[in-house]
Amino acid sequence: MTPDADRDAYEARQAELLRALIRGDEFPGGFDAVKAAAAGRSLRRKRARAVAGAWPVLEIALGDGFGARFDAFARETPPPAFGFGTSDGLAFVRTLAAHELTDDVRVELLLARALVAGRAAVAMRARRGVFARAVALREPRRIVIVLRLPGIGRRGLVVPLARSR
Amino acid sequence: MSAPRTTPRLGLGVGLRPGLEWLVEQHDLGFVEVVAENVDARRPPTALLRARERGLEVVPHGIRLSLGGAARPDHRALDHLATLADRLGSPLVSEHIAFVRADGVEAGHVLPVARTRESLEIIAENVMLAQERLPVPLALEHVAAMVEWPGAELDEAAFVRELLERTGALLLLDLSNLYANAHNHGYDAVRALARFPLERIAYVHVGGGEHRDDGLYHDTHAHPVVPGVLALVEELFALADAPGVLLERDDGFPPEAELMREVLAIDAAAQRGAARRDDAGR
Repeated sequence: MTPDADRDAYEARQAELLRALIRGDEFPGGFDAVKAAAAGRSLRRKRARAVAGAWPVLEIALGDGFGARFDAFARETPPPAFGFGTSDGLAFVRTLAAHELTDDVRVELLLARALVAGRAAVAMRARRGVFARAVALREPRRIVIVLRLPGIGRRGLVVPLARSR
Repeated sequence: MSAPRTTPRLGLGVGLRPGLEWLVEQHDLGFVEVVAENVDARRPPTALLRARERGLEVVPHGIRLSLGGAARPDHRALDHLATLADRLGSPLVSEHIAFVRADGVEAGHVLPVARTRESLEIIAENVMLAQERLPVPLALEHVAAMVEWPGAELDEAAFVRELLERTGALLLLDLSNLYANAHNHGYDAVRALARFPLERIAYVHVGGGEHRDDGLYHDTHAHPVVPGVLALVEELFALADAPGVLLERDDGFPPEAELMREVLAIDAAAQRGAARRDDAGR
């Protein structure tokens, strides 16, 4: 059996490397900085692919800026413990300015929340029970209601609002 | 040192990722692998139940146990793997020789461990703690490591061999990871292959990747399998038999026919290797 002291020192060394890989710089001594930087980039690219996969509309809304914006976010924010693309995307969305959240992104946000029940102990957990949320959109003015009902699944409902003149 | 456990014949497989559910209807396949943490063990997705109905084996593949980490493996995570294996009648489960978190920070990927005597001690203990709580054999996969720890006391094949000998775990041999490490760290993949504990193989991973401008090979699982990896499939089967070979494709999915052609190309390479082994009378 290993004494805990060994494990503490072992953990400290792994944490130092991990934090450097996430940031993409200041690698611990003895590591090949070029390869470590490539490893860090590939970690962030993997996260970006997962977020784009879970949030296709978000990637479209940000256009060419998605890659650079996400990379900057990922250097500052370690990935979540659970729900890789979905939760990471949710955290990323929270860093965006209100004007960057297009109507489509706000609907996508709601649709994602209807399916995923947030944090689970050991694995992704699908939402159970009733979910009902609404979001008011601007162009055109309408309310989108997303429901998730047991035995029925996810449904969306669009309620147009009278145009204000 | 415990004797290698017998592994069931698995045949050809593909990683069953969301978007690839059509695979469970394929007649050429004998098994699929599923990322354990993406499945609710109490309610496995229809595709997995269908796979079992069709007689395909399902191997839960863990990515978050962090057996190479400093913390002892989490009981809830192990119980999740165990429940999944029970629910799906799995012949074995697999995980990585890697760490995925440290000091409360997540990596979002499997990261390499230092190949020292000290880390071997810690990882062997973690593996044995995991095995105590699992109802089926555990196979361990060596990872693609773009970054290597300084001060290695063992090379990768020797580290893996010693870990498996000490724990009795099986080998999940990943030929793409071997190719990536050999290319990126400048050693001969075929010579390294022969030094892995091939007699302990549970199954083999083959994944796609690409050579990029930075001079490095990136193990993306989002691109086709490169010819150098297919050559390693042939070399492996020229040296030893393996109960199963599985294609890992996680992203950028090609059309169904193209993906199945890739599976059959892997099978053809394995058969070429096996024929060479027969000729050599091994």
